[in-house]
Amino acid sequence: MSVEAVAAPVAIHRAIPPEEAARADFYALLARLFHAAPDAALLASLGAAGPIPAGGECALAKAWDDLVRASSVMDPEAAREEYETLFIGMGKSPVSLFAGFYSGAPSIDHPRVRIQADLAALGLGRPDSVVEPEDHVAGLFDVMRVLVSGGAGRTPAAVLEQKRFFQAHLEPVLRKFFAAVGRAPEANYYRPVAAVGAAFTVLETESFSLE
Amino acid sequence: MKTTKPIHRRNFLLAAGLGGAGAVAAVATGIGKPAAKAAAADVSAKPSGYHVSEHILKYYKTTEV
Repeated sequence: MSVEAVAAPVAIHRAIPPEEAARADFYALLARLFHAAPDAALLASLGAAGPIPAGGECALAKAWDDLVRASSVMDPEAAREEYETLFIGMGKSPVSLFAGFYSGAPSIDHPRVRIQADLAALGLGRPDSVVEPEDHVAGLFDVMRVLVSGGAGRTPAAVLEQKRFFQAHLEPVLRKFFAAVGRAPEANYYRPVAAVGAAFTVLETESFSLE
Repeated sequence: MKTTKPIHRRNFLLAAGLGGAGAVAAVATGIGKPAAKAAAADVSAKPSGYHVSEHILKYYKTTEV
């Protein structure tokens, strides 16, 4: 959603360190998987992905293995149905994709309002073609991806700027969101997806606290 | 910005395996484009209005006498 830079785009491609690129990749993947169900091509490449070299922190590596295994046997049609059941549903969906749901948004100070203000300050905005509210989790992941790796005509944002956006809009919501996905009886493929997201969130939260 | 980053944050991320996470990179580069437009594609990606899905067909089945 927020990948359009308001300022004039200048093509600068500065290589970012591999660990920062990996963060951007995780955000890209999470944005993709919560925007829509994985298609056959994505399931195939996820199913063929290698392991994460396990260091001290193995929760993410383990969750990743599970996701890779699940992807290798998942059928795209079943994934599509699961996504619709979980997140779209008929009537009220079992799991909400919107941050406002998890932060107990009072209508007068809805998180969307603050997200809009912060996006404007960052020079980012929602393309006109997007109808989804700004607090859709896929949009929030996409903002982080752009802040981490640059893109849409902008260079990577300072870690402090990433931290501010993450702590204001993602951290208060993601633990509850991934927990909701993980315990939904309708969740099958999205269980390991949520586990990867949760482990990655823990990592991000910790790394920002080191800053 | 990158140069002022304390080294321990980098070490922490590297220790978590993110430095060598070619695993995700391989997947993510393939989806880089769609993901970049993730929300932008929302409008077209989600069928607007009525569409027949497995779901709806199942519902129809339940209405059969």
